[in-house]
Amino acid sequence: MLKLLKFLKPYWWQVLILVLSTAGQVYTTLQLPALMADVINHGIVPGDINHIWQIGWIMLAVTALSAGLSFVSSYFAAVVGANFSRDLRATIFSRVLSFNLSDMKEYSTASLITRTTNDINQVQSVMVMILSMMLRAPLFCIMGLVMAIQTAAEMSWIIVVGVVAVVLMAALIIALVMPKFKIFQKLLDKITLITRENLTGLRVIRAFNNEEIERKKFEESNSMMTRLLIYVDRIFELQNPFINIIFNGMTLLCSWIGISLLNEDFSYLGDMTAFSQYASFVMMAFLMLSIMFVMLPRANVSADRINEVLKTIPKIKWNGTTKGVPDKRASVEFKNVDFSYPGAEEKMLSNVSFKTEAGKTTAFIGSTGSGKSTLINLVPRFYEASAGSVLIDGLPIGNYSKEDLMKRIGLVPQKGILFSGTVTSNIKFGAPNATPEEVRAAAKIAQADGFISRLPKGYDAHIAQGGTNVSGGQKQRLSIARAICKKPDIFVFDDAFSALDMKTDAKLREALKPVTEDAVVLIVAQRVNTIKDADEIVVLDKGKVVGKGTHFELLNKCKIYQSIVKSQFSEDEFEKETKLAQKSAKEANHA
Amino acid sequence: MHDNRGPNVKAKNSKQAWKSYWVSIKKYRLWIFASIAFAVASAIVGIFIPKILGDMTNVAVASYPDIDFDGIGRDAIIVIILFLVSAVLNYLQAFILGVVSAKYTADLRTLIINKIGRLPIAYFDKHRYGDTLSRMTNDVDVLTTSMSQEIADVSLSLTTLIGVMVMMMTISVPLSLISFIVIPLSVIVVGKIMGYAQKYFREQQNTLGVLNSKIEENYSGQIIVKSNSYEKAATLDFNETNQKLTRATMRAQIFSALSFPVTNVFTNLGYIAVCIVGGVFVVEGRITIGDMQAFLQYVSRFNRPITEVASSTSTLQSLLAASERIFEFLNEPEEAPDPENTMAIEKVKGAVKFHDVSFSYLKDTPIIRNFSVSVKPGMKVAIVGPTGAGKTTIINLLMRFYEPNSGYITVDGVPIRDMRRSDVRKMFGMVLQDTWLFSGTIEENLRYGNTRASLADIRKAAEASNVDHIVEALPKNYKTTISEDSDNISAGEKQLITIARAMVANPPMMILDEATSNVDTRTEQMIQDSLEKLTHNRTSFVIAHRLSTIRNSDLILVMKDGQIVESGNHKELLKLGGFYAELYNSQFAEN
Repeated sequence: MLKLLKFLKPYWWQVLILVLSTAGQVYTTLQLPALMADVINHGIVPGDINHIWQIGWIMLAVTALSAGLSFVSSYFAAVVGANFSRDLRATIFSRVLSFNLSDMKEYSTASLITRTTNDINQVQSVMVMILSMMLRAPLFCIMGLVMAIQTAAEMSWIIVVGVVAVVLMAALIIALVMPKFKIFQKLLDKITLITRENLTGLRVIRAFNNEEIERKKFEESNSMMTRLLIYVDRIFELQNPFINIIFNGMTLLCSWIGISLLNEDFSYLGDMTAFSQYASFVMMAFLMLSIMFVMLPRANVSADRINEVLKTIPKIKWNGTTKGVPDKRASVEFKNVDFSYPGAEEKMLSNVSFKTEAGKTTAFIGSTGSGKSTLINLVPRFYEASAGSVLIDGLPIGNYSKEDLMKRIGLVPQKGILFSGTVTSNIKFGAPNATPEEVRAAAKIAQADGFISRLPKGYDAHIAQGGTNVSGGQKQRLSIARAICKKPDIFVFDDAFSALDMKTDAKLREALKPVTEDAVVLIVAQRVNTIKDADEIVVLDKGKVVGKGTHFELLNKCKIYQSIVKSQFSEDEFEKETKLAQKSAKEANHA
Repeated sequence: MHDNRGPNVKAKNSKQAWKSYWVSIKKYRLWIFASIAFAVASAIVGIFIPKILGDMTNVAVASYPDIDFDGIGRDAIIVIILFLVSAVLNYLQAFILGVVSAKYTADLRTLIINKIGRLPIAYFDKHRYGDTLSRMTNDVDVLTTSMSQEIADVSLSLTTLIGVMVMMMTISVPLSLISFIVIPLSVIVVGKIMGYAQKYFREQQNTLGVLNSKIEENYSGQIIVKSNSYEKAATLDFNETNQKLTRATMRAQIFSALSFPVTNVFTNLGYIAVCIVGGVFVVEGRITIGDMQAFLQYVSRFNRPITEVASSTSTLQSLLAASERIFEFLNEPEEAPDPENTMAIEKVKGAVKFHDVSFSYLKDTPIIRNFSVSVKPGMKVAIVGPTGAGKTTIINLLMRFYEPNSGYITVDGVPIRDMRRSDVRKMFGMVLQDTWLFSGTIEENLRYGNTRASLADIRKAAEASNVDHIVEALPKNYKTTISEDSDNISAGEKQLITIARAMVANPPMMILDEATSNVDTRTEQMIQDSLEKLTHNRTSFVIAHRLSTIRNSDLILVMKDGQIVESGNHKELLKLGGFYAELYNSQFAEN
């Protein structure tokens, strides 16, 4: 939490005013009991009505001043608190946007989202509490103590007794209850988990007739939770009665001691009332502080999680100096590229080399974990090769400025990612200046025009956050349209076709041909059918290139490729394909 | 659907919401009333304390300088008894309410989980899981917390308020009237301020919702943001909303903070009025000095109950909204109960017949019209069609997740609608694309379909479905814990486990949904092999994506745009030259 205080720096003078006005407000509030004692001692006791009025006016003035200061301090607490969280949020947001995939991998997206939303909210509400309560409590403690001693030093031990009692009680309850809160959280998580499983596994549970088992599982956690809650309740509810006893006991003690001191000095009559008020101010302050001790550790967890993000510096630096995109057909080359995830011993890619140029399609195939997705992610520099180099137009990609590199790439990821907005705004995402005609043309190629025109508002139809209001296949087609609309030099399709049914897949690839004529096409796929026509197929296994060539060439010479084809084709078809491959090899020999 | 709910959403029908809530606490009403009674009693007892403390001063002043310590001592003992009794009553009320609210929470949760088990699948196909989940967590939380806090606070506050006013009146009517003047003023002004604060709190909550979804989509769509150089635009957009949020937060904060100095001013005004006018009264002999001290304590006690009651109205609103959402869910129509006289099949042979079945999800869009087909025991039925053609409908009808609008389905001549749902579902094993496993050990998961299966049965099934070697590779073998999002096993392996699970259940018929993507070749082969074993000699329905499956099927149901357009075997359908032939040729046939 302390580390985050640096975000208050730009607002130092507001904070200063806040501190000063809070101090002033506390001071003026504490003057009232003293003035009241004055009214009793020098007005009421001698019967001086004039004096009562005189002090009365002063009290009014002090109240007005106190209210003014209180307003000033609340105002600045609000301003500082709101600005603090705005800056923090903005800093984290832009930091996360500057992260690369390897940085993201350290956290998981869900965790980063929680850090930017919930954790910041948590820190913000505690910061507001610090700015108002935390500041006030110690001031009340110190000034209240001083005033109490000034009023009646002989009675000050009462405050010590009261404070010790309050602190002991708070410590005891916290010590007894806090450990249970951890168990509480775990049980609550479990209850939520079972509920979620019951919802997501609805069909399976019913298919197996296991509603009863699920119910029992739930009941077990539920009743454990109830028992725990009742146990905690038994202790936790002691709090209020105890506080009442302490406060009332202290008031009684003040009256008793005050009265027994009356024979020494009659002014204890007024002083004892003032004193008991000071004593309750001081004890209230201690109570607040003990609440802060409960709140702070929780906020600290959030603050630590935020600090972690702030400490993470993007591993990939964009120092490129290119200005603009050259007006020529692109080429992509991998030269002996190695890659391993930070901290991992095993190489995800080792010694990968290939070269391709505009007008050619290069496909990557291999089993899960073979590194094909990783490889393709090196092209937009989401990851940095640990050895070797990735060249575009013969220039290492590190030499490009970020904008220039990205301008050339049209990426379609595995999952169709959409943003809230309209169909058009999604397709135009990479080409803000695209005309409606261009948008429509892109959608047509992506086989999306049909379903878009069937939507109630067509191209202006609303897309919900995460594209939840369109189906998986539609999402994927829109995401392909987005890449096409950008008119990139390099298309990167990361397993983008597998969410489509085979018929749409085939139609789409046919329509793509004219668009990709002047572009490099890199494509990762699971289905052999999707990549059969590629100019070059790169077969990957455990991060190594185990085969390179056309479909037929690979069928003839690459064992792994053969087994992949075998698994996806029927036996007849496989034989037919193999024969065709052998035939084409012979023809090549003759020529 | 309910999105982005802030805490201040109002109930649509408060009266109904109240009624449902009132009915739901029936079991606890007596205890709640007892608790309220304790709260009232505790407050009443406490109210006498300042009065008696004041009396102590009176006795002291009257007997000065020979202070009557016996009389004062008697008063002191009464005070001690009073505050102890008050504390005990206070504890009893809080404890009872705590127990009630813990039990009530458990009740509500049980009601909800049972409801989840009894609602038709149709409900969950129309509502998002998150919505139901948030009723289970957030809404239950709101309802029970406000119950345990609000009831006690409001009854305590009201009693204190009334009691204090009565006590003040008994001391001095004119002095009381002077201090009462500030009440309506303070209520009106604070109410106005809180009204503004509420407005800005709502605005803050809504803006926060918008901002959070922006964060979410930019983080999860990071690769698209990056590859389109959208960071600047995203940050600009984010900053705009962030600024809006800051403004709303600041306003809400300032207004709610304003209520503090304002109430403070009013309390202090009352305090000062009592000091001045009370002082004059004491001098004039109309009241005693002890009365004035008591009066000062009463004045400082009466401000808090007012603000508490004022703030409880907004809590009440969120309570009603939560109550409405919970009971709305609990009142959803449930699945019709099983008929009284059900039929059952002793030994299932697996002859499935559709008799003139019609079905539609929505009234005007029929999915299946007068469909009849006869499936002989042991037949393999493939359901094919493009994405989104409604292939799962057949499964939904077979499993009785949905009921046909007209016509019926028989198994071995027995209409399934005349059987118990659980008996129908027992006849089928299901392996779906969505590989749902619950968090628990692999063994527990495999046993899910047949709790009485021996370890040997499980091993056998695991071997047959190629799960065996995966499990052996895991550190704790069959005792390894898996969960929805666990990454110690891959998607393909999860698929295999669901197949093994179906094998352990050993049902007479099977329903399968072939997975298409994201499975590597080797696993893919294992899955196919296991599925082959699973469907051997069993009547099975397969949502098919693989050519081999389709060709080997005895019957193919071709679906398009949510309707069965053709049915027959592969050869027949090709000869027909219809939609199936088109589908087949576009994908599988040679160009």
